[in-house]
Amino acid sequence: MSRRFGALTALAVVCAAVELVAGRGMSPGTVWEVLGGGGDTTERHILLNLRVPRLLVALGAGACLAVAGLVLQSALRNPLAGPEVTGVTPGAVLGAVTATALGLAGWDSPLAVVLAACAGGCAGAALLWLLAGRGRGDPAQTAVQGVLVSAVLGGLTAMVLLVEPGELGSVVQWLVGTTEGRVWEHWHLLWPWALVWGAAAWLLAGPLTLLRCGDDIALTAGLAARRARTLALLCAVALTAGAVAAVGALGFVGLLVPHLAVALFGADLRVSLPGAALVGAVVVCGADAAAQLSSRLLAAGLDSGRLTLPVGALTAGLGAALLLVVVRRTPSRSF
Amino acid sequence: MSAPEPGPAAVRSRRPALRAPAAQPLLAVVLLAVSSVCALSLGTPDVPPHRLVGAVLEGDTTLAGIVVTELRVPRLVLAIVAGACLGAAGLVLQEALRNPLAVPEMLGVSSGAALGVAAPLVLALSLPAAVQPLLAIGGAALGGGLTLLAAGLGRSPSAVLLTGAAVAAALQAALLVLMVMADQLDLQLIYRYLLGSLSARTWDDVTGLWPWLLVAAPALVVCAPVLSVMRLGDEDAEALGVRAQRARLAALAIAVVLIAPVTAVCGPVAWVGFLAPHLARWFNPGAGAVRWLCWSAVWGAVVVTVADVPARLALAPVETPVGAWTALLGVPAGVALMRSGGRTRARRATAGSTAGHTPAPGVRAVPAGAGAPQDAREEQSGSDGPVGARPAPGPTATEDAR
Repeated sequence: MSRRFGALTALAVVCAAVELVAGRGMSPGTVWEVLGGGGDTTERHILLNLRVPRLLVALGAGACLAVAGLVLQSALRNPLAGPEVTGVTPGAVLGAVTATALGLAGWDSPLAVVLAACAGGCAGAALLWLLAGRGRGDPAQTAVQGVLVSAVLGGLTAMVLLVEPGELGSVVQWLVGTTEGRVWEHWHLLWPWALVWGAAAWLLAGPLTLLRCGDDIALTAGLAARRARTLALLCAVALTAGAVAAVGALGFVGLLVPHLAVALFGADLRVSLPGAALVGAVVVCGADAAAQLSSRLLAAGLDSGRLTLPVGALTAGLGAALLLVVVRRTPSRSF
Repeated sequence: MSAPEPGPAAVRSRRPALRAPAAQPLLAVVLLAVSSVCALSLGTPDVPPHRLVGAVLEGDTTLAGIVVTELRVPRLVLAIVAGACLGAAGLVLQEALRNPLAVPEMLGVSSGAALGVAAPLVLALSLPAAVQPLLAIGGAALGGGLTLLAAGLGRSPSAVLLTGAAVAAALQAALLVLMVMADQLDLQLIYRYLLGSLSARTWDDVTGLWPWLLVAAPALVVCAPVLSVMRLGDEDAEALGVRAQRARLAALAIAVVLIAPVTAVCGPVAWVGFLAPHLARWFNPGAGAVRWLCWSAVWGAVVVTVADVPARLALAPVETPVGAWTALLGVPAGVALMRSGGRTRARRATAGSTAGHTPAPGVRAVPAGAGAPQDAREEQSGSDGPVGARPAPGPTATEDAR
């Protein structure tokens, strides 16, 4: 187990290193020079005020989303529950966009954005709960209903954006999820929030592991299943809201990374929650590095400077492909 | 979560007043008439209803005449035609896949079409207007075909829907990449288009639709009877001489031909293909696929026309896209209809089911209307026991095919 943690940490370091040197504008040699204390002002600025915070935000957001997904999947006992398909992510986007449009929260008052995203995420989850109601037994049905909820929330977001078209340009990037232009402010916002709620999630790891076994076993073991589930859901919503406020709606990370983590670290959440955080960080950071590299190659190939590939597009494409493979590979099971 | 399919007798016993036989045409006509008059007369300039005829006859000599004949009438016609196409396509897909949630939005058809239209806009390729529907059709066929092939035809409905969601998400991501690349002005245009808007459409847009309708209408007439056989399930349909997989692909092709040109003109007007068929079923649960097809087209037209009124006027002078309204109203209403129809069926299913495997509700549509299917059903049920206890036939059929 500790060997796997070690390997993943090494992978995270490799991804981080690639991410640091992947961008346009500086050669790897210059990066090394700046890290050693040299380089001119511009180079130092690029590395220390743009690339490092971007890297940290990517790591943090990935960890948040992965933990939120694992908590959701365990609490709801639904392998298809992720923040994206339970209405939490679209709700958080709607909350943040609405608060911004109403002037309650600007990009200059980031905490308000997080709180609005949190409220929106709760609203989205509540909407799904209303819709699913008693028929919560079938995981796939809940997922499908989650898609419906996302459609409604997306419609509302669209309305808000059209009433307030000035925000459109920056928000569209954020709808797909991007780490473009993240600076130290974003990181200072993200880490305390992620730390608090991540710690809360880790404290809940024991009850969550019991919840995974089913309500009956959890009740027999003396767990107040309902209260534990509510707390866990709150935790997941808060983590998702933090990640959404920082990087936007990164697709499929919260749905698929937990499966990877459970496959690597087993179903004991005391181990696999930190594992999921690590895997999520590696995945998002790696995807961001790949997006940076490919947009650099594309820009060189197509000779157009404004072409950038947002990391959310990459994770969504990758996640969709993985989901297709998973659905294909389970022919007899109808979920 | 199921096709509202209680047996005729069960419905008649507690049929609310709204479901009386004459209610459906009456309600549809009244709604359509009221919203048409609103669409033609409200706005700036205000043309009171009694002066509408005069304004149309005056033609382009007065301001009111020009506004009505050149802007409002084509918009109304476009709303009706687009709604009818989307409603019919929604029913075809739902019936062919035997899945009450198989709507273009869930299968990646809509996002494929939108991608086909938006890509040249962003990449600044200038194309003749006639090519646009072709691109939309290509995109829609790509999205829908990818979903159906990846999910395996006729697999469990949830698997198809999840695959569709994945495909739609991937296409959506591609679209967002395009949008990120676009500059601010293009972005506004694309965003409005992507939500489905009927604003500033003229007669040219309407006439562009006719050739496609000429192709699609006969195909619909041919496929309607096949649809009522498809409702029986793959095994029964094949026993009756319908090649289920081929019919399903044909249904998808028809739906693509119906949806793509509409998408090319006014964008993906979301969830009309979900609401309209459920309205048709809710009003007339005992009818067969053929009558539902007609009513679904009618309700589609009604839904888009009604939704276009608040889209144009609610936040005037800013126009809101009609697609946002249909998504906001259509999804909750459709889900409510689906569940209210499903409740009666669920009661019957629980009464009948004994085996451990209960089918996902709505997987198994039980024929109630048309004559031939009914006979087949009765033969079948003699040997198979209660309807609710039978597992969904989809997976078995495909496994055999493999």
